[in-house]
Amino acid sequence: MDRAAGDVGDAVTALDQRAATDTLISLRGVGKQFRRRGRRVVALHDVDLEIRRGEFVSLLGPSGCGKSTLLRIIGGLHDSDGGTVTVDGDDVHRARSAKQYGLVPQAPALVPWKTLAGNVRFLTSLHRGGEAHPVMSDAQISGLLETVGLTGFEHAYPHELSGGMQQRASLVRAFALGAPILLMDEPFAALDEITRADMRYLLLELWRSSNSTVVFVTHAVTEAAILSDRVVVMAAGPGRIATERRIGLPRPRTPEMEDTDEFHETVRVLRADLREHHEKQT
Amino acid sequence: MITLPPHRTDVGGSDLVDPFAGDGRKPRRAGRVLLMLAPVIGVVVILGYWQLGIPPFNVQKFVLPKPTDIIRHINSDKTFYWDNARTTLWEAFLGFAIAFVAGMIGATLMAGSRFLERASLPLAVLIQVTPIIAYAPAVVIWRGFGLQPILIITSLVCFVPFLINGLTGLRSVDPNLIELARSVDASWPEVYFRLRIPSALPNVFAAARISVGLALIGAVLGEFFAGVRHGLGYAVKLAQNRNLSLQLWGSVYVLALLGALATLLITVLERFVLHWHSSQRQ
Repeated sequence: MDRAAGDVGDAVTALDQRAATDTLISLRGVGKQFRRRGRRVVALHDVDLEIRRGEFVSLLGPSGCGKSTLLRIIGGLHDSDGGTVTVDGDDVHRARSAKQYGLVPQAPALVPWKTLAGNVRFLTSLHRGGEAHPVMSDAQISGLLETVGLTGFEHAYPHELSGGMQQRASLVRAFALGAPILLMDEPFAALDEITRADMRYLLLELWRSSNSTVVFVTHAVTEAAILSDRVVVMAAGPGRIATERRIGLPRPRTPEMEDTDEFHETVRVLRADLREHHEKQT
Repeated sequence: MITLPPHRTDVGGSDLVDPFAGDGRKPRRAGRVLLMLAPVIGVVVILGYWQLGIPPFNVQKFVLPKPTDIIRHINSDKTFYWDNARTTLWEAFLGFAIAFVAGMIGATLMAGSRFLERASLPLAVLIQVTPIIAYAPAVVIWRGFGLQPILIITSLVCFVPFLINGLTGLRSVDPNLIELARSVDASWPEVYFRLRIPSALPNVFAAARISVGLALIGAVLGEFFAGVRHGLGYAVKLAQNRNLSLQLWGSVYVLALLGALATLLITVLERFVLHWHSSQRQ
């Protein structure tokens, strides 16, 4: 499952990637309960998950399966009620404090009073000096903006950008942190189908040149299949991991791959997994 | 002459002079000019009617002097009006500023604590619904004659708009942005000054526009009761006692002008500061 090193494949990077088979994120027996109108709701039950360095993992499942909650527990934004979560052997709060996470929320959530240039640097500018890794230089950020086709819009305000452009800016903002882990919570769910298809390959291109590990929450089967190294299928009531599937499609992924039998088979298997565990629940 | 920006008049004006009438074309040039002049036209029409002696009632001149006579009177005694206007403006400004600072501190505390919010809201409502004129004498008895009771009265009437709007504004921040800030472990001053305060600005400006008028009411009312011998409120009281209808109306005109100028200043400032906000787009 080695990622293609791509155009940034200098010797060191390629070596790093091949050696990077060790676990970065580790969850053991993680649970989470919420209180809703006085009743206890089990959002997550006994979740075990290991994510390797440089891996692209999708959390796929129906709404209410706890996939967003799981993402927030990994990011130290929610506390788990039981079990342990470690990032590179460290506590999640330490990881958060060291700015190890680049978060991409469902809505673009750009700062409305800042220009695009200010927005993509906004997370970098908060808690300055906390990061345990080098932040991106202006030249690198310009490179990212060029990759996603936003060159020339640096001085535009969010309300002057289309929804797709805003979401691309949101992606760049997360990558600009230079964080080793990217947490994405259905980032393309609000976009139209055509824009969404483009965004997937843009994301893969950004990821390919970043050495980062991605945890990607989605309810779209094809999206999970085309993006991921591994798909974690989740089920609801209580939220749990139903099964995991390794995606054998070669890298780099291309739009043409979506027409191959291998891709269709992958999608079929994932659909069957989802259906099976959905029926069990009802 | 005071001309407010045309967008403020859209609510009232668009029904009467609607250059967009149905066909969706760009408004004709004449229609645009008319729309821009609408606020001035309203004032001019009323003043003209007044100048004609309010037909058909024909109010007597010593009861209601004509606008031209009032303006001529102001012009003949400019130093008197200028000195008194400065005093009243200074009192109104100080009261407004105290209310702004106190209101924002209060809103910050209330935004941080549900208990404090619930405990303080009834007090805020009581301050707002109790007629200031009823307890203004009590403030004067408490603090004695002079500037102090005037400032207390003025800031009391301006306080609640800043408190309530400030609270709404501080709460209006996009929760996604708060979560993004948390994901990089931003400190609370960063979240407060870089996200909450800017998000609250549209509401704070709304409060400021309400409070401009209230500050002038507070200052004039304070002068009525506080035994001072300066200010337009004092000039009104004096005019009433001595039956000087020109001085009475002259003071009223100057007060109206001050209020309009202050509102204009805030509107211009708002345009500049909130250029990113949807309220400032046409």
